[in-house]
This record gives sequence, C-alpha cells and structure tokens, in this order.
Amino acid sequence: MDPISYLRENVGTVLFYGEQHFLVVLCAIALGSAISIGFALLVSMDAGSQRWSLDWIVGAVREGALVVTAAALTVPSLALLVLLLPLFGLGAATTVTALTIYSLYTVLRNSVAGLSSVDASVLESAKGLGMGRLRRLIWIQFPLAWPVILNGIRVATLIDVAIAAVAALVRGPGLGQLVLTGLSRYGAANAFNQVLVGTLGCLVVAAVFEIFYAVVERLTVPRGIRV
Amino acid sequence: MSETTTNPHGIAEGHPDQRPMIVLEGVSKTYPGQTIPAVAELDLAVPRGSIVMLVGPSGCGKTTTLKMMNRLIEPTTGRILLDGEDVTGVNADQLRRRIGYVIQQVGLFPHFTVGENIAVVPRMLGWDRQRIRQRVDELLELVGLHPREFRDRYPRQLSGGQQQRVGVARALAADPPVMLMDEPFGAIDPVTRERLHDEFLEIQRTVRKTICFVTHDLQEAIKLGDHIAIFTAGGRLAQYDTPEGILSRPANDFVAEFVGSGAAVRRLHLIALSTLDLDEIATGSSPTAAALVTVPLSGSVYDAVDAMLDAQTSVVAVVDDDGQAVGALRWNTLVEKLQLRGLHP
Repeated sequence: MDPISYLRENVGTVLFYGEQHFLVVLCAIALGSAISIGFALLVSMDAGSQRWSLDWIVGAVREGALVVTAAALTVPSLALLVLLLPLFGLGAATTVTALTIYSLYTVLRNSVAGLSSVDASVLESAKGLGMGRLRRLIWIQFPLAWPVILNGIRVATLIDVAIAAVAALVRGPGLGQLVLTGLSRYGAANAFNQVLVGTLGCLVVAAVFEIFYAVVERLTVPRGIRV
Repeated sequence: MSETTTNPHGIAEGHPDQRPMIVLEGVSKTYPGQTIPAVAELDLAVPRGSIVMLVGPSGCGKTTTLKMMNRLIEPTTGRILLDGEDVTGVNADQLRRRIGYVIQQVGLFPHFTVGENIAVVPRMLGWDRQRIRQRVDELLELVGLHPREFRDRYPRQLSGGQQQRVGVARALAADPPVMLMDEPFGAIDPVTRERLHDEFLEIQRTVRKTICFVTHDLQEAIKLGDHIAIFTAGGRLAQYDTPEGILSRPANDFVAEFVGSGAAVRRLHLIALSTLDLDEIATGSSPTAAALVTVPLSGSVYDAVDAMLDAQTSVVAVVDDDGQAVGALRWNTLVEKLQLRGLHP
C-alpha cells in the first residue's frame, strides 16, 4: 500500500493523533510560557531604585534561572521522560511536564532580552511622568517586549512539537504513537507508512501553530511597533 | 507651607505670588562609591513663571540638579521646596505628575499614538475621556500640530522636530506649574531648533510656566533664559544672573572664560529693536525705504546687524508686523547708542 492510500484509510486515527499532539504541545507551551514570562517580569522590573544590593540579587537570580533552564534543555529527551516517570507515571502528565521544562529556556531568554531591551529614554520619560514601577511594566515594558517574547514562544513550540513525538515512549499522546508503532514492527505491512505519516503529521502540526502565531501576532502587537 | 521666614536668598516667603516656585536649600548629591559630590551645597531659587537656564560644561552637575527637582535622583542632603512645600519626602510618582518633564531623546512611547502619549498623565490622574480628548487637541494646537492630522499617528511617523513638540505637549498635559527640560532641542538640526526656540517662547508667553532648562549651549541659554545659572565642575554655582548680567558682568574668571570672546556680539541678541529710538527714514533723499533691507520690529539688534552685514549696507529699515516701515537703524548711531546704554563692562 502506498502512503496516500494508507492515509486515506486511516484518516480518522491520524487526525486523532494529530489533535492530541497539538493539544499536548499547547498545554505545555501555555504552562511554560506563563512560568517563564511571569518570572522574567519579576526579575526585569525596571528597578530605578538606588538600592544597588537588591539589583545585584535580582540579577544573580535571573542569570541563575537562565543557566538552570539552559541545562535542562540539554538533557536528552528520552532521559528526562524516564526520569519523570516515577513522579507522574505513564501518559500525558509526564509528557506535558517534560515539554514544559523544554520550553522554559527559550521563552525565558527571549522575555528577559525583550524586557531589558526597552529603550532607556522611554523608561526614563515614563518615570519622569510619574508612572510607578508596576505601571511602567504593564503599560510600557511588556507591550514593547511582547514581539520578542512571542518569538521565543514560537521557537519553543517548534522544539516541543519535535520532542512530543519521542514522548510516545512513555505512552504520551500524539503522533509519536504512529511513529513508534511503525518502528516496532518495522518490515511489516504499512510500518514505513506509519512512520512517514507520523513524521509528516508533525510538520502539519508545526504549520498549524505557525499560522496560529501569525494571527496572534497580528492581533496583539501594537500597530506603532509592527515591522 | 505656613512658615514666613526668609530663605537664604532673602526673598520673603510670605506672599504666595512673590514666593519663588522652586527653592533648593543646601542641596548636595554624592553618588554611591564616589567621594567628590556631583552637586555641592547648592542654593537656588527659581522665580515663579520664569525660565531659568542651567548651563555649564559636561559633568558640572546641571542635569543632576534638574533630576533632583523631580526626584529622579534623590539628593544626599538639603531640601527642595516646590511652591513652598518641602517635597524631599513626598511620594515621588505623585510629585512627578505635578512636574512636566522633557528630555533630549524625547522618549515618546512608540506603541502609543500621539494622542495616547499626550494623554498619559491625565489618564493616571483619572480625568474622564471627554476632558482628555479636548485637552489633547488643545495641546496639539498649542505646539503647532494639527490635531486631526497628528492625533492618531505613531511616533515613528513623525520627524525629530515634531516628536519633540509632542514631547512638550505631553509634559504640559496636566497643566503642571513647573516644567523641567533636559536639553530638549539638543538633537535637532539648527534650522528647526531656531524655529522651535521661537515657538517655545511663544508658548511660554501663553502658559507662563516656571521652567528649568538644562543646556550646554550658551547661545540657547541667552536666547531663552530669564535667568542663567552657570555651573562649574563639582556642581558649584559660578554665577546666577540675568543673561545681560552674565554677559556684561561675569562674576569670575570661570564665567568670563565660559562666556568667552564675542560677548559683545552675543549681547546684541538681548536688545530688542522695539526698545531703540529709531531714526526717521529720510524721504526724498536716497536710499528710499523701498530700497532698504528690512528687519522686523520684533527682532533684536543682532538681526539688524546680521542683515546689514549680509546686504553690505550700513542702514536697515525696521518694519512692523504689517510691513510698514517704522524707522531706520544706522550702523554709526547703533554703535554710539550701545555705548550710551552703558552695556560695556
């Protein structure tokens, strides 16, 4: 059977796995982004104080978090999934946790970079007009950093779409199931087709995310700073 | 508020209208990790409704002084009175909403429209939408930008000069009695700067704010200032006087050197043509008024001399707003008159 007719016969199953794949990545990215952005906001609040010691501690915490999340990204996905098994067992929980961990670094790095790259003169005039710390963060820093943060989320999503396929090893939901089944019965009928359709399915999921982000960008990036 | 003592400048604080708007009393600033103060024991009183120019070489503490007035920099010692009220301990954000602030890089918020930029302080003060909208349009008119055309533009769609007009409008939004300006026209090309200077003085004639203005350009200070404070290295005040006083009676060698040569020529800026007794234009004899080079009555002697040198003539006609000649100014009489006015040191 050729891949096309295989897909035609199993369209329901493939769509089901694709949907799972999309949702599991979406959950992980939402969780990872919330954690990373929240943390970045905390450690990037335009200090403007003259308490040097506080600035120093905040800086140390920020750099520390970047090192830790970067280290997490280098752990092989297979190893991390297995390491999480005792905690969360087989299935979606372990998968989402692992994918969340893999998304942290990219989003955090971009958030910190975006928030700290806001023009100093813009922040000075905000302060000079009487905006407090929190208002500067919400009105000025975050909206101006948003395009950079969103880019981080985008890259993290691509990484997670790929890693989610591996999560099939711990019974994670998604297209990895197809690939894994195909792999385990390699040589049998349609085994190669399963691997091929599973892989191409990941591409489609990634493409759907890209379209989703393009729409989000269009809707959320303020017109004055759109490139 | 209630004290009726005299401040170190001998100005009675009793009557509110005569009380200076901003008073610095023994204000010093030493940055952490430094032994030499950036500003040392500074006493300064800024009269209500006047423009005080803070001038000096780089690193003289003029910007530090300005930023202490709205507490962007906290003074190490001393106290700062705003309209008689000690503001050294009040909430800094609340204080800054009462003080307009304009900086050289403008610092407009790129993701806000021109209108939203101007509306920032009124929004924080909780004005209703209708009032904010009216105020934005009023301010755009004031700074010479057509509201309908500019209100909904973004900062990046404006030229440098237009951006700074919006910066000034934003600072004026909640009608603060005090404006602090840190080299606002420093990054603007000379031609536009000249025009902005004239407009700035025009605006000041209507709004009558108390303005502190930092510049390193003495020319700008003379043109715009009612008073000039010249700072010397280490944040000391070398002289605080009117532009005329600074130019004709420098208090010490530092000021004399800072003012430099050409003080006599600079002083010409300060003499308005309208204050001179002009010669009558001799009718019948040549040259006739029509053939003369003209300067507007609102100009200064500097403009007249400039016109003379430019046209290589020793006489110019002074004309009023309608273009009617009101008199003639001759090189010889000018030189004699200036001596008569006793402006030489």
